[in-house]
Formats: sequence, structure tokens, C-alpha cells
Amino acid sequence: MRNRSIITEAKQIHLATELIELGARLQVLEMNTDLSRERLVKLYKEIRGVSPPKGMLPYSEDWFMSWQPNMHSSLFINIYNYVTKNTGVDGIDALIKSYRLYVEHIQVYQLEKVLSLTRAWTLVRFVESGVLCIAPCVNCHGSFVVHSLEIHSNHVCGLCNIPSRAGKTKKAALANFH
Amino acid sequence: MGTNQLLDEIRDINLSYLLLAKQMLHDDRVSAMYRLGINQDIADILDRLSSAQLIKMAASNMLLCRFRFDDRLIADMLSNDSRDQSVTKSHAAILMAGKPAEAIA
Repeated sequence: MRNRSIITEAKQIHLATELIELGARLQVLEMNTDLSRERLVKLYKEIRGVSPPKGMLPYSEDWFMSWQPNMHSSLFINIYNYVTKNTGVDGIDALIKSYRLYVEHIQVYQLEKVLSLTRAWTLVRFVESGVLCIAPCVNCHGSFVVHSLEIHSNHVCGLCNIPSRAGKTKKAALANFH
Repeated sequence: MGTNQLLDEIRDINLSYLLLAKQMLHDDRVSAMYRLGINQDIADILDRLSSAQLIKMAASNMLLCRFRFDDRLIADMLSNDSRDQSVTKSHAAILMAGKPAEAIA
């Protein structure tokens, strides 16, 4: 159909493979590679052994505001900003590198992987399009993900001011019970 | 500890630090820059050092790596042992990742 270089295609397949292994949904792959949908589906099946999940991607920006997701997404966006600002990589490569560093943090402190790669990708797009933005906490001066339409002049992050029910999920209760 | 022994130890640490940094940059440049907290200029300098230069550089009476987080809050978070370790450590990681990279003039 199209005549394009085999090397470019190999690179694209490599990128798609990496993204699938990190848990990307099909839509993320379609946006970031030139490979056709059929080939991506095939690749997905080959790597994961199951068909890619159908349906829309999670699209709520409010998800990033609840306590635990906000902690994880703020950590990720800080890593991502560091990587894009200082290391000379950007776009999807920066996203993959930052996500790997985020996963590493999760593993070191044995946390639950709250932020999926697809969510991380959505987060970056939300920040780029101005739906969400990064605001400093007046208490610890760290940068945190916030709604663009909220007032940020006196923002106190969820980690300086931990809500009483923070992290008390059903899952955590179940884990304690066992 | 006598002065000579102290100087030996400093040289050892300098050498280990430089070797580790070089190794990290060689293996995965982007992650290494994040972990070391350095920018591209410093990464380039470290990359270009030959083994002879490395040894010369390490033989100093001063440490080449220094305390990275000049922030009392981060130091407190990293050293305290509160009930919820993982949350404190994540908070510290957010603050540390948000710090500007070490740069050279």
C-alpha cells in the first residue's frame, strides 16, 4: 500500500511493542505510530495473548484530582517535566522513560500501580491542552496536578494536608484483613 | 581517622561516584540524568572523561559529589520513620523530581 522504509517500520513496531508491554491501549498506539490498526491488533494479540480491550479510553480529568491518583500523577508529571526539560528527549520517548522511572518508584516502595500508561499519556495531553495544570503547594513548594479552572494562589497539596479517609480503600482494608 | 586515611577514603568515594555515574549514563542516559540530577552539559562532560582523567579528577582533597537536597523538608521526609512510609517517600520523590537539575555555568 504505502512505500515506506523497512527500518522506519521496524522502529515503529519496536515502539509499539514497548508501549504494549507497558500496558498501552490501542488508541494510544494508533496516535503514536503509523502502523495500521490491523497490524497493531495483531501485535497486541501476539504480545498479550488476548484481544485489546474495546471501548473508549478513560477520559475524566476529575480522576486525577482524588487523593491517591493525584499523588501518583503529580509524581509522574514531575518526572516527565524533569526529563523533557533536561535530557533532550521529548514526545512519546520521554513518556516511556518517565513511566519506567515512575514504575520503578512504585516497585521500590511497594505501592500499588495506580497510574496506568494510558492514564499517564492522557495526563500529559490534559496538561498540554490546558485542562489540567501544575500548581505549587504553598506549604512544601512541590508541584502538583490541579484543575486549570480552580484558584491556585493558596493551593495546599493533599500530601501536606492529608484527608482523614485518604488511602482507606476497600482494597487496602481487604489487604489488612488477610 | 588520620588525614591520610581520610584523603584515601575521599579519593575512593570520588572514583566510585565518577565510575558509577559514567556507567549509568552509558547504560541509560535519560534515566541516569534523572537519578543523578544533572543536565545535558554535565552528562556530556562525564561521558567524555577518559580513565586517566577520571583518576586525576578523583585524586582531590574534596568530595566531588555533594549533598543534593538543600531543603530541610526533604531531608526530614527522607530520614524520619513515620507510620506511613510510602506516602512520605512519594511526597519526597515529588519534591525531589521537581528540583531543577544541577547545571554548570
